[in-house]
Amino acid sequence: MTVSAVPIQGDAHAIAFSGERFVAQPSGALYWPSRNALLVADLHFEKMSSFARHGQMLPPYDTGMTLNRLTRDVDSTGAQLLIALGDSFHRNEGVGTLQDVDRARLDALTDRLEWIWLSGNHDPAPHKLAGRCLPYLELDGLWLTHEPRRGRPGLVAGHLHPAARVLIGGRSQRRPCFVHDQHLMVMPAYGASTGTLNILSAAFEGLLDRTRLAVAMLGRERVYPVHPGRLVDG
Amino acid sequence: MNTEIDPVIAEWFAARKWQPRQHQRDVLASWQAGASALLIAPTGAGKTMAGFLPTLDDLARNSHQGLHTLYISPLKALAVDVARNLTTPITEMGLKIKVETRTGDTPSSRRQRQRFDPPHVLLTTPEQIALLLSHPDAARLFGSLKRIVLDELHALVTSKRGELLALAIARLATMAPQMRLTALSATVAQPETLRDWIARPVPNGPTHLIKADGGAPPELSILKSDDRVPWAGHSSSYAVGQLYETIRQHKTTLLFVNTRSQAEMLFQGLWSVNDEMLPIALHHGSLSVEQRRKVESAMVGGALRAVVCTSTLDLGIDWGDVDLVVQVGAPKGSSRMLQRIGRANHRLDEPSRAILVPSNRFEVLECEAAVDAVSANHQDSETPTEGGLDVLAQHVLGCACAAPFDPEELYAEIIRAWPYRNLSRPQFERVLDFVATGGYALRAYERYARLKRTEEGLWRIANPQVAQQYRLNVGTIIEEPMVKVRLVRGRGFRKGRTTGPIARGGRVLGEMEEYFFTTIVPGDTFMFGGEVVAFEGMHENEAFVSRAQAADPKIPSYMGGRFPLSTYLAERVRAILADPMNWSHLPDQTADWLRLQHDVSVLPGADSLLVETFPRGNQHYLVCYPFEGRLAHQTLGMLLTRRLERSRARPLGFVASEYALAIWGLADLSGLIRTGRLSLDELFSEDMLGDDLEAWLDESALMKRTFRNCAIISGLIERRHPGKEKTGRQVTMSADIIYDVLYQHEPDHILIQATRHDAARGLLDIERLGQCLRRIRQHVIHKPLDRISPLAVPVMLDIGKEPIFGEARESAMAEAADELIREAMGRQ
Repeated sequence: MTVSAVPIQGDAHAIAFSGERFVAQPSGALYWPSRNALLVADLHFEKMSSFARHGQMLPPYDTGMTLNRLTRDVDSTGAQLLIALGDSFHRNEGVGTLQDVDRARLDALTDRLEWIWLSGNHDPAPHKLAGRCLPYLELDGLWLTHEPRRGRPGLVAGHLHPAARVLIGGRSQRRPCFVHDQHLMVMPAYGASTGTLNILSAAFEGLLDRTRLAVAMLGRERVYPVHPGRLVDG
Repeated sequence: MNTEIDPVIAEWFAARKWQPRQHQRDVLASWQAGASALLIAPTGAGKTMAGFLPTLDDLARNSHQGLHTLYISPLKALAVDVARNLTTPITEMGLKIKVETRTGDTPSSRRQRQRFDPPHVLLTTPEQIALLLSHPDAARLFGSLKRIVLDELHALVTSKRGELLALAIARLATMAPQMRLTALSATVAQPETLRDWIARPVPNGPTHLIKADGGAPPELSILKSDDRVPWAGHSSSYAVGQLYETIRQHKTTLLFVNTRSQAEMLFQGLWSVNDEMLPIALHHGSLSVEQRRKVESAMVGGALRAVVCTSTLDLGIDWGDVDLVVQVGAPKGSSRMLQRIGRANHRLDEPSRAILVPSNRFEVLECEAAVDAVSANHQDSETPTEGGLDVLAQHVLGCACAAPFDPEELYAEIIRAWPYRNLSRPQFERVLDFVATGGYALRAYERYARLKRTEEGLWRIANPQVAQQYRLNVGTIIEEPMVKVRLVRGRGFRKGRTTGPIARGGRVLGEMEEYFFTTIVPGDTFMFGGEVVAFEGMHENEAFVSRAQAADPKIPSYMGGRFPLSTYLAERVRAILADPMNWSHLPDQTADWLRLQHDVSVLPGADSLLVETFPRGNQHYLVCYPFEGRLAHQTLGMLLTRRLERSRARPLGFVASEYALAIWGLADLSGLIRTGRLSLDELFSEDMLGDDLEAWLDESALMKRTFRNCAIISGLIERRHPGKEKTGRQVTMSADIIYDVLYQHEPDHILIQATRHDAARGLLDIERLGQCLRRIRQHVIHKPLDRISPLAVPVMLDIGKEPIFGEARESAMAEAADELIREAMGRQ
């Protein structure tokens, strides 16, 4: 077994996409320096509590955990704009089930910086929280929206909860990841309660050009750009 | 004791020139004296008749309205078999006793009818009792109950099923205070504990302990092989020829192995030499139920010469014609061995015969220890489990489904169940709170509560859906999620070609635990359905494999089986090792191996821990020999690597066997110890079970698996019902994610407590590790060596075969990233 021979500087990873430069965060957020903006996808606030309505009393702490992450990323990047790429709430009604303490923290965040809520399939309707609710956003030649699709260059989306599994030297590791080709970027799901889907699975088929694939996996302290030849199913 | 048997029954015995055996009369006498009874008897002692004699006697004398006797056994098959064995004498005696079974297979119309028109004798399983108790008519149905017969109690009390059963019995005793228990058990280490287990729920009557005569002592030997017993591995392929010869010489042979993959390999091996086409069958838990039933009925019909099986046949119906039991691989424990031997020859006056076949050198020692232990008739069975809070949560919800309950009364009843005798009132309140609203410090779910308090202070279910949901999730047996294994054309695993589409379609080979496929990577080969296959990938609920060219699978998928080496056998093995006087009856090759170890290193002592350190290649190794079983060694390995990391010993990975643990790393361990920069006493000190354990539990995959079971049993997440379409509501939430969220916020939540409790005895075996660390405190013997020692060879051979654990968790990603950079810089 060899140990990492080429250290990568810093704890963030630069991604060039569609003429713009981004810095991928190990949390799953994407920092956009030229706009001083933070992009996040699939927060899925209030997912656990939505199960409680049906008698499955899952721990009501996922919203708080996601808010912790967001606060840390906003603090560390100093972003002045936050763009949430849809499925911010697990259900539209989730805005109403927020615990008081969570609601207060979310309000504090939306007061601190400009906030854009893009709609997703889980939260299609606009809501009353601070910030703007939009179906999509076009910005500096980028097209920000919830669901990924082909045929619109410069599209940044979420929805699929991408994860990669690498295999090297008989060991394997599976983590959420950023994945993009020259036209489309799919962001990892940010929420504490979200599951993942392998980027080799059928749901990704036809979306990305497998010969131009760039994959960056989320580590504990840094993001790891990995060789696509090492990707495996599962 | 004086007994009087009803004339009808006495005549039936006399007509067959039989008479009731002493222990059968004793059980009857206990019943007539108003007492419960624990009968400890070997197989073949007529336990069934002993259990039911009081019922027959009572019903021959007195008429009875409603349910009279409940018979509860761990196996459906046993209930069906006992029904058959009971109906014949009842008919012959001309008694009007209605006997029925009730299992998951019973048609729902009959199950419905049984609730308002019950038979006199109902033969069933613990899960069915829990279900019946959740209905509003339970009190009426069970109010007439006079007897409960518990079969194979020794097997039930060591599992969560036993905990649920204990709670159910406490409930039944409340509903039917006149009820008395008769429990049937194999020989156990602590019969008094078992007696207490059945005595507590019926405090208004005494409980007698009755022991039947042991019968002839078993004849146990070790297979004498001309071939070398291998250093390591678990295949026992060296012995296949001899085993086949042995099968030929016997009428029916039962071959026990410890794991499914061993069963597969042995079965394949035997058929490869089966020139006479003897009917040899395979029986393990991954085969379909129909396949297993087919094997069982062929066995009953005397159509088979041998069955290769796992613990799936430890219990079960009696097969009169088995004349030889073979244990291939480690016997693990004395009681376990005695029970398996008891599966042969159910005539009391003749000895049961059994042969042990060690599959590697350490197992030779373990087999020796087992032969000694069995001939001394030493019992090392596990003690009954202490009650889990997840099982209690299920029971509390079940009680509410039947009728609103008073918490005072329910608590008083629950602590009459042996596993919960020490449950504190505050713990009970927390469980109640958990059942109602999830029991979180953050009171988020009051409006969704499943239980509500009535004005009279009783707890009732909030709506009828709660009861429906409960009945779908009842029971403590969690089926591992299975995936279909499908055979496809291989795409070939050449270097760097691991992507690309998998050919789908193809024949289904069978099913395997989903978990297994998360431990292997595409390209790995393993044995399945009697052939070596290569893992190609997963798609939804299917795993794709292709035929592999390799003769030997890379992944033995041994996984150690469920049971660790018993503490008692481990002690005996250490004693054999420590004293060369004991080596005289070992096979020469094994004795030579130990002598060599004696010459170049030292032998592990009976009460100390030997730690060897040596360089090999460009790495440094630490091998220690605790003999505490693989699960405890894995946990030890995880904790030691954490500590070595902190001591800058730069550990890379470890591998654990039943007997030893090997850790390797980059730093010179011998040097670190010599210069005092690393203290072995500190390294192995018990305080690793404090903070290090906590830090590891935070991310342990084994802990998450344990949690998943607790979450399902407690009703936090719903069971996946195989074959049933998911409705929108039944969307499953990953237990891993729930664990992460819960552990970070409420590490003291009762479900985390329940998980820890299980982990201590289960997959992490922390309890055993703790005992070991206390035992070896200040008794760590360090032996620095220039090279690998003879004793270290077996565990070192496991490297690359058994799963390797590494603490450098992100190294795979880091390496894949480095590769990308080298490519970018043109250095590939």
